[in-house]
Amino acid sequence: MSEHDSDSSNPESPERREFLGKVTGVVAGTGIAAATWPFISSMNPSTDVLSKATTEADISDIAPGQVHTVEWQGKPVFILHRTDQQIDKMRQSEGGKDPTADQKRVLEPNWLVVVGICTHLGCVPNRVDDGWLCPCHGSVYDNSGRILRGPAPRNLHVPPYQFVGENRLLIGQADPQRQRCERVDPDAAGDTFCVATNPNGKEV
Amino acid sequence: MAGRIIDWIDQRFPLTKFIKHELTEYPTPRNLSYWWNFGSLAGIVLVIQIVSGIFLAMHYKPDALMAFDSVEHIMRNVNYGWLIRYMHSTGASAFFIVIYIHMARTLFYGSYRAPRELMWWTGQVLLLMLMATAFMGYLLPWGQMSYWGAQVITSLFGATPFIGDDVVRWLRGDFVVGDATLTRFFALHYLFPFLIVGMVVIHLVALHMVKSSNPSGINLADKDNIPFHPYYTIKDLFGFGVFFIVFAYFVFYSPNTFIEADNYEPANPLKTPPHIVPEWYFLPFYAILRAIPDLLGGVVAMGVSVVIFALMPFLDRSRIPGGAKYRPIYRVMFVLFVIDILVLSYVGLKPPSGSLVIVGQVATFVYFSLFTLLPFISRWEERWLRKKGLPPEVEELIRQEEEEAAKRGRRA
Amino acid sequence: MKQVILSLVIVVLGVFGAAGSQAGTTEVALKPIKVDRSLDSLRRGAQVVFDTCMRCHSLRYITYRDLLDMGLSKEEVDTLRGDRGLGEYLQTTMPPSAAKFHFGMLPPDLSLMAKARKNGPSYIYTLLTSYEEMSNGKIDNPVFPGIRMPDILNVTVETAPEERAVVEQQARDVVAFLEWAADPRAQERRELGVYVIVYLVILTALLYWRKRKIWSRLDEH
Repeated sequence: MSEHDSDSSNPESPERREFLGKVTGVVAGTGIAAATWPFISSMNPSTDVLSKATTEADISDIAPGQVHTVEWQGKPVFILHRTDQQIDKMRQSEGGKDPTADQKRVLEPNWLVVVGICTHLGCVPNRVDDGWLCPCHGSVYDNSGRILRGPAPRNLHVPPYQFVGENRLLIGQADPQRQRCERVDPDAAGDTFCVATNPNGKEV
Repeated sequence: MAGRIIDWIDQRFPLTKFIKHELTEYPTPRNLSYWWNFGSLAGIVLVIQIVSGIFLAMHYKPDALMAFDSVEHIMRNVNYGWLIRYMHSTGASAFFIVIYIHMARTLFYGSYRAPRELMWWTGQVLLLMLMATAFMGYLLPWGQMSYWGAQVITSLFGATPFIGDDVVRWLRGDFVVGDATLTRFFALHYLFPFLIVGMVVIHLVALHMVKSSNPSGINLADKDNIPFHPYYTIKDLFGFGVFFIVFAYFVFYSPNTFIEADNYEPANPLKTPPHIVPEWYFLPFYAILRAIPDLLGGVVAMGVSVVIFALMPFLDRSRIPGGAKYRPIYRVMFVLFVIDILVLSYVGLKPPSGSLVIVGQVATFVYFSLFTLLPFISRWEERWLRKKGLPPEVEELIRQEEEEAAKRGRRA
Repeated sequence: MKQVILSLVIVVLGVFGAAGSQAGTTEVALKPIKVDRSLDSLRRGAQVVFDTCMRCHSLRYITYRDLLDMGLSKEEVDTLRGDRGLGEYLQTTMPPSAAKFHFGMLPPDLSLMAKARKNGPSYIYTLLTSYEEMSNGKIDNPVFPGIRMPDILNVTVETAPEERAVVEQQARDVVAFLEWAADPRAQERRELGVYVIVYLVILTALLYWRKRKIWSRLDEH
């Protein structure tokens, strides 16, 4: 199918170089390049997979202090209903090796939503008394999902999410009205999180 | 820089030599008509089928419970899945159209004759492999027609004497066509195209040994040959262009022309559709199968009707070059044969009832008669033509061809 | 070769002509319709399908999200789906046991109906609009005798010309919706096809011109 250009062996090279010949080559090349697109595109997530980009979770029956795990894009997401003491305690520290203010990690102080995948090597941390402990290599996270000890380099990732209605959480899509994005650390992908603000622009 | 890389390669691999020998200096008759485009067209269709097939296989699930749904998933959810699937289903029909025209050209111009017997026979093997691939591929959508087509065709092997039932069960891996059948058909459907590629290489090596035939049916003198590149590369590319226009029309505007409506219903082992038809490209052979009132006889007749083409180099005893061009009686036989194929297709398409059964039997008889009578008719035709006096240029062609044959004989 | 081709073409036309005339006599006479692919028709069709067809039939390959892609607004889809999720498929409201009880079988899924029958759109339209009151007082469908599906659009009741027009319009809209459901990507396909074919015609013209140019060298010698 390829047009083998072997001008060296073709005595009429100059003629072959004429303008419209080049146009034909360019048109054919463009077409072949364009024809590859449907095939490449077919390997991207299909529409039914993309429709799973968001997950709705009912949070009405999560008692204070309890954690629910929901699946979002195939990953576990921890939803922690924090008690007032837990909030107070979290606000007093900046976490461990990836210091971040607790306020920057939540939309509502009593709801912590984090992706339950250890930023070290991808294991799912287990719930312990005052946070999470990764069973694989012992990384310890606090009740703000921040890394305290262990080999994990970053805090647990906070997914985009919004509250819909009283008791429902939509994970995977942030509400543009409800959030102003301020990149905390543009280099650390896991921590590029928006500072949560109320509609009046005041930080919570 | 490019020159240095090519030099480096040439010291280790005959790249430039190969291109020269097989492309830029490969001698091709300058009088080839557009009927000679269909070989390269078959090549491009093979490429379409392999590429689209590989991408379909990324989404398809060869499991009786999931196959139908996964095809609908491809059609509805996968990005451009509908395009790839319709390309593949239309491509299967395009493949047979192109191959049948390629074969008809070979028959019309007598291109199967010495020294091109091996080309013809490798071509026959390619046809059989293509048929097997198409048949197995047709099961994969797991629709009603897929299922019952496979059920009927695998049942044919039950005609094997003594071990028929065991053979059928072995083919299916189940008592009926089932999950095991589907999975193995998928595995083989994926494998066969690569075997076909291998056979195409052999076909082409044979071609480059004996060179192309041409409408006047003799090996041309050097002055009548032109290098393949650029003359036939551009002619083939133009042929691709025309082909793709027609192909795109069907893919985008009439993709279900080649898909039976019944195949949009999931396979149901408990309910046979009222009228089972094979894909159009099997219709003539299917009609021959049905024309014989005995199962074993029908299966044998069908098998023979496909492989009998391989005998053409022996059956055609005429030494007049140019196939049907200079042979009025052979030309009549050719036309009769094509009409017969069309009649058989029609009979195969319709339910077997009353007069159509008779028509099918007559057409089957004509089919085999044409082959069996050919040795006698071709001999007689040659004698008659020579007595009548051939045009001087044809006499000249025969003389040259005999010289060629003598030279080949000496070399061997 | 030319005469050969010509005679073959005549034979082919003859064979298919005969095939056509035979088909006309053996197969049921369908009322041919032209499918109205406008969004209005699809919207009305969806409504009829939801109000009547889906009492017994499902559309297992169509989800509520697909209706958004079809062109319905979020509000319209929300009304149709009630508290069902966007990703749920269009499921019949009739439980399978009730279907078995009333019809002795599960009513077929409608997602692919427009493709799973020859001349699908005409087939569906004919089926929906051919109910009649038979001489014995029972209502049947002479084109599909003994069909278990009742006269769902009230063809036999709404007999006045203007009522009849409404019913036929409803049938048309159902056909439009089911044709869309059988192949939701068809519109995309038809749109893309124009560009592809125009491109191919240009490319082929250029290739033909190149071929002429290159082959003209042979005449110079």
